[in-house]
Amino acid sequence: MNTLANGIDTAEAGAAAAITADIRDRADPALVRADRVEQLYSQLPLGMAATVVIGVISAMELHEGRLLELVLFWGSLLGLVVVLHALLYLGYRNDTKRHLNTGQWLRWLGIGAFAAGATWGFAAAVFFPSHADERQVFLAFLLAGVLSGGIPMYAASWPVFAAYAAAIALPFTYVLATFGNRLFAEIALLIPLFYGVSVAIAFRLNGVFVSGYRLRHAYQRQLIELQEARRQIEASGRKLTLFAERAPIAVLELDAQGTIHDVNHAAEILFGYAADELIGHSAKRIVRPKHHADFDREWGAMIANRAPVAGVKVRNPRRDGIDVVCEWTVTPLVNPDGTIISVIAQGRDITAQLEAERMKKEFTSTLSHELRTPLTSIIGSLQLINAGVLGEVPKDVTELTEVAERNGQRLLDLINDILDIEKIESGKLTLVPEVIRVDELVREAMLLNKGFGDRFHVRFQPRGTLLESEVTADRKRLLQVMTNLLSNAAKFSPEGEVVEISTEQANGILRVGVHDRGPGIPEAFRARIFGRFNQADSTATRQKGGTGLGLAICKRLVEMMQGRIGFQDRDGGGSTFWFELPRHA
Amino acid sequence: MPERPLQRISYVEDDEDIQRIVRMSLERVGKMTVDVVSDPLTAIGRMTSFKPDLVMLDWMMPGMDGPTLFKKMKLEPDTAKLPVVFITAKAAQRDLDELQALGAVGTISKPFSPKDLPDQLRAIWAKLP
Repeated sequence: MNTLANGIDTAEAGAAAAITADIRDRADPALVRADRVEQLYSQLPLGMAATVVIGVISAMELHEGRLLELVLFWGSLLGLVVVLHALLYLGYRNDTKRHLNTGQWLRWLGIGAFAAGATWGFAAAVFFPSHADERQVFLAFLLAGVLSGGIPMYAASWPVFAAYAAAIALPFTYVLATFGNRLFAEIALLIPLFYGVSVAIAFRLNGVFVSGYRLRHAYQRQLIELQEARRQIEASGRKLTLFAERAPIAVLELDAQGTIHDVNHAAEILFGYAADELIGHSAKRIVRPKHHADFDREWGAMIANRAPVAGVKVRNPRRDGIDVVCEWTVTPLVNPDGTIISVIAQGRDITAQLEAERMKKEFTSTLSHELRTPLTSIIGSLQLINAGVLGEVPKDVTELTEVAERNGQRLLDLINDILDIEKIESGKLTLVPEVIRVDELVREAMLLNKGFGDRFHVRFQPRGTLLESEVTADRKRLLQVMTNLLSNAAKFSPEGEVVEISTEQANGILRVGVHDRGPGIPEAFRARIFGRFNQADSTATRQKGGTGLGLAICKRLVEMMQGRIGFQDRDGGGSTFWFELPRHA
Repeated sequence: MPERPLQRISYVEDDEDIQRIVRMSLERVGKMTVDVVSDPLTAIGRMTSFKPDLVMLDWMMPGMDGPTLFKKMKLEPDTAKLPVVFITAKAAQRDLDELQALGAVGTISKPFSPKDLPDQLRAIWAKLP
């Protein structure tokens, strides 16, 4: 399946998975807790007002028959609790970072709730035992009221409610249990049950609150992400439109039947049709009639496979009848259910590229044949003269014919090197691997290049005993590498010097080294020595010959034979050029 | 290896300069007898009368190229079994492989060394059954 179709599949699968999973899990727990604390504090003013009102009514009711001081003390205690709650509320509201300090504010509220509960519990403990029946009923009603009133107050945190209610229920239970009255003792047994039910209700309410807050935050987050996704989709859409409009390649949108639905500006220019002349028509409009059957077959296969096709070269007729060769990439956009949404066809005009390739091939062929044929006559004639086949020739004439032959050979080397590098770089060079004895190869190379060495008064000589190891390589091309290294060494060595050739092996690798006493490789030239048309000193090209392609060719040839090539300074002056090849097992 | 030494060469080549060099090389250096044919269309008749030991063919010639001439030679009883060496400026391995596939006993690339040409031909001759 194509990449775009995959993208759609993945997006759909992801969305489905997100829907299936509990969306509430996406809520940030810190934000949910901040909301709960906010809810608890928002209830405080109402709670404080209710406390004051109930406290005043209770004080008025309870002070009859009791010590006024005790009622005043309790009233003051309740007042203090209300004031502390008010301070707590103001402190919370003024804290700009309250959403970050939710733990601390929740603890303070818990302490406040417990204190409020304890104040009511104190009333139960102090006022219940000594009052008349009707006041005891009032007190019991009052306590039940403030306890159950705490449920909505503290529903956003059931532990806070549990602390508040416990502070009320515990003293009241104790008082009832120790009152000495059987009825009260039975009520005392019911209070823990009542407490437990209240805490359970608070716990459930707490769950509802938490769930609500989690949903709210999850949806908020989802909304933000959706907005971001929408923004990105819009941006992508704008980008895609821009790409399609400004792209130098023709872009066509088609349906599964091959009818064109949209084209970009480049397509109009390439095929010479206005968009209106293409939209609504079959893509066959830009296919030669004799190829319609092929088009139908390949289009059908692409639609059936739901798979993109790339690199299809088609000769497309323009409106003016001239053909352009396009390389097409055709991509069906497929829904998860397999429906084709549309097909995007992108075509690149490669007419000029093909023409350039044809011209390059023709040029190479010309180089190969048309230049080599006259060179055969030139070099051949000069060789026959210089070899004395035609008899004695005056010395001055011989000198000149030798110069001509040498330069003819140089021209031939250049042509051969250019052909070689072109063949290597276009991947057209094929090697003929065979098992080669390295010592034999080195001796053959020395023999082949003896004449070249003699010309520069340099002698080739093996260093120590040459290894009889074998490598798998192309003999002709490896000899070309050796010839290159030996001729370079000869060219740059002082007259009378010896160029040594060594063979070494280690870890299954065989290394052949060519050691000269030349001037060495200048630092600035080292990095590009294996590049094309590179010589350390361009004047050397003229003085010593060479195209500057030799080492570039050697590097590529050795690498094609799974080896590597390099150089290093030689102790005592000069350079060592080496190549390594895997030893034949 | 054939019992007799390589002596008679028939060379089909349209380029007069190269004809001259090859003739000089084979006659003066190699001490061989050479019949040079300029027109490939008359080559088979010339070979039939000259009776060469070995034939050298250029690849690209006007009228008929070397490989086509080689195929026609194979159809004629007098020339069918003559060993053929191609001498060509084509350098691609693919081209050389094509010649081997046709049954050529050797290929010599242009430019060749006239000094060494006789020895090259003798080396090919020596490998023949």
